[in-house]
Amino acid sequence: MKRRSIKLIVLFILMLIVSCNDPETVVTNYVHPDGSVTRKIEMKSIEGDIKKRFKISNIQVPIDSNWTIRDSCTVDKKGDTTWIRRAEKVFKSIDEINLTYKSDSGSNKDFSRNAGFNKRFKWFNKEFRFFERVDKLLTFGYPVKDFLNNEELRYFYSPEKLKEENENGPDSLKFKALSDSVKHKTDKWTEKNLVSEWIGEFSKLATGKTNNDMIIKSLRAREDEFVKIIEKNDKQLDSLWKNGILLREFLGEENAVKYKTEADSALSIVTKNMFANFNNYSERIVMPGKLIGTNGFIDSSHLLLWPVKSDYFMTEPYEMWAESKIPNTWAWIVSGFFLAFVLTGVIVRIIKKG
Amino acid sequence: MEPGNEKYNKVLDLLRKSKPDLDSTDDIKREVIKRIERVNHSRLSLSDLVDFLFGWVYIQWVRRSLITASIALVLVFIYQQSVILKRIDYLSRQTIVTERENGSAPADEVEKMFMVYRNSGRRFPTKNITISEKQMKELIESVNELQLKYKDLENLIQEDPELKKMIEKKLIENNRTKNNL
Repeated sequence: MKRRSIKLIVLFILMLIVSCNDPETVVTNYVHPDGSVTRKIEMKSIEGDIKKRFKISNIQVPIDSNWTIRDSCTVDKKGDTTWIRRAEKVFKSIDEINLTYKSDSGSNKDFSRNAGFNKRFKWFNKEFRFFERVDKLLTFGYPVKDFLNNEELRYFYSPEKLKEENENGPDSLKFKALSDSVKHKTDKWTEKNLVSEWIGEFSKLATGKTNNDMIIKSLRAREDEFVKIIEKNDKQLDSLWKNGILLREFLGEENAVKYKTEADSALSIVTKNMFANFNNYSERIVMPGKLIGTNGFIDSSHLLLWPVKSDYFMTEPYEMWAESKIPNTWAWIVSGFFLAFVLTGVIVRIIKKG
Repeated sequence: MEPGNEKYNKVLDLLRKSKPDLDSTDDIKREVIKRIERVNHSRLSLSDLVDFLFGWVYIQWVRRSLITASIALVLVFIYQQSVILKRIDYLSRQTIVTERENGSAPADEVEKMFMVYRNSGRRFPTKNITISEKQMKELIESVNELQLKYKDLENLIQEDPELKKMIEKKLIENNRTKNNL
C-alpha cells in the first residue's frame, strides 16, 4: 500500500515537472480603434535544448511561422540562462484571431477560446469593448460565486504576485485568513463539482435504462451527502469506489451491479474534464483611448493583466474584458455651436420682448 | 402788386427755366444711386440678419423644440461624463500588481490538483509526456532516495516492537473505518 502511494506521488511530481517545462508566456493585445489588433507574445524558457525550447506544441497560445520573431537570452548571477522569444503579428480583425484559435496546435488546443471587439457611437464619445473568452469545462458544475463572497471572489481571481504581496504585507494576517477561507471554500466547490458532474454524466450514460429517472432524482437529492462522504474519506475514496461500497450506498445493491459500467465511464469522463491539461499563461490588453472599465488587474506597466488558469473556467466561461473611449472632437464642437446658437436666440427674444 | 415784386418774380422764373449746363450727368447719377444703396444696405445687415438667424424664436413650436433639444444634449453630456468619471475613479482605486504574472502553477493550485486527483479515484487521464534526460536522472535519483528512506523506516519499525504494534493498531483502525462505511 505504501509503495503504491509513493509511486503515485512520483507520478504526480512527474506531471508537475512536465508542466514546468512549458515556457512562461504573456500575451499582449494592442487593440486599435479600427478593430485591428497587434498581438505580442513573450515566452521565457529555461529549456536547454533549442529544438524543444519554443516548440509550437508547447506554447499556450496559437503562433506560427508568419509571426515576426525575435530571440534573446539573459544570464542571472548564478549563471542560469533564460531564453526569451518575442513574437508579434498584426491581425486585421478579430475574426483572424478567432481563426487562429480554431486552428491552434499549441498546448491548449483542446480548449475553446475566442475574442470579440465592438465599437459604439455615443455622440460625445466612441466606446470600444474588447474581450477574450475561454469556454467552460464542466457542464453540470456550480458557479464559484455561489461559494465565495465578493472579497473572496476578488482574491480568487487575483494574480499570484498580488496574493504573495498581500500575504507578506502589513495586513498579512487578514490576507492569510482570506486565503485559508478561499482555499477551504474552493475545495468544497471542487468536491461539489466532482459529484455534480459525475451525476450529470452518469444520467446521460444511463438514459434509456429502466428506473433511470428515479435513480438520478435520488442521486441529486443525496448530492450533499455524497460530498460529505468524499470530505470525510478522501484517503480511502479509491478503495471505496473500487469495492463498490459507494455505489451500493447510493444506488442500492442491485443497481450498483446493473449500472457499474456507466458509473465507471462517467467517472472517467469527469476525471478527464477535471484534469484538463491546461497550461497557464497571462493575458494583457492595451485599449485605444482612455480606459473606462475592466475586470482585469493593472500591472506595473499600467497595462491590464489577467492570469489564465483552468480553475477560472471550470464551471463558467472566463471572460477577460476591457472598455475604453475616445472623445468625438467634431461632436463636441457641433454641440457647443448648437448650444450657443439656441442660447443667443433666447437672449435675443428676451431683449426684443423687453 | 408792387413793381419791385414783379421784377423779382420774373428773375426767379428766368432762373428756374435756365438749367445748369452739366458735363458729367452719368457720374452724378451713379454716385447718387451708390449713396442710396449704401444707406439701404446698412439697414438690412442689422435687422435682416437677426431676423434670418433668430426668426425661429417667434415660432413657438420651433423655439420649444430647440430648447428641449439643448436641454437633452446637456443632460446626455452630464450623464455620460459622470458615468465615465465614476468608472475611471473606480479603476484608479484598483491595486497595482507590481510584477508581471508568470505562467507557473502556484502551490495552492498544485494542492488542488492533488485533491482532485485523490477525490476522483486516483486516476490521471492518459496523455503523452516528454522530459529531458537530466530531469529523468533527477527523478530516478529522488525515487531511489525515497526508496532508501522507506527501507530505513521499515527497518526502524521492525527493530522497535512497540512502534510496530502502534502502527499495526493504526492500520487496523483505518480498515475498520473503511468497512463501517
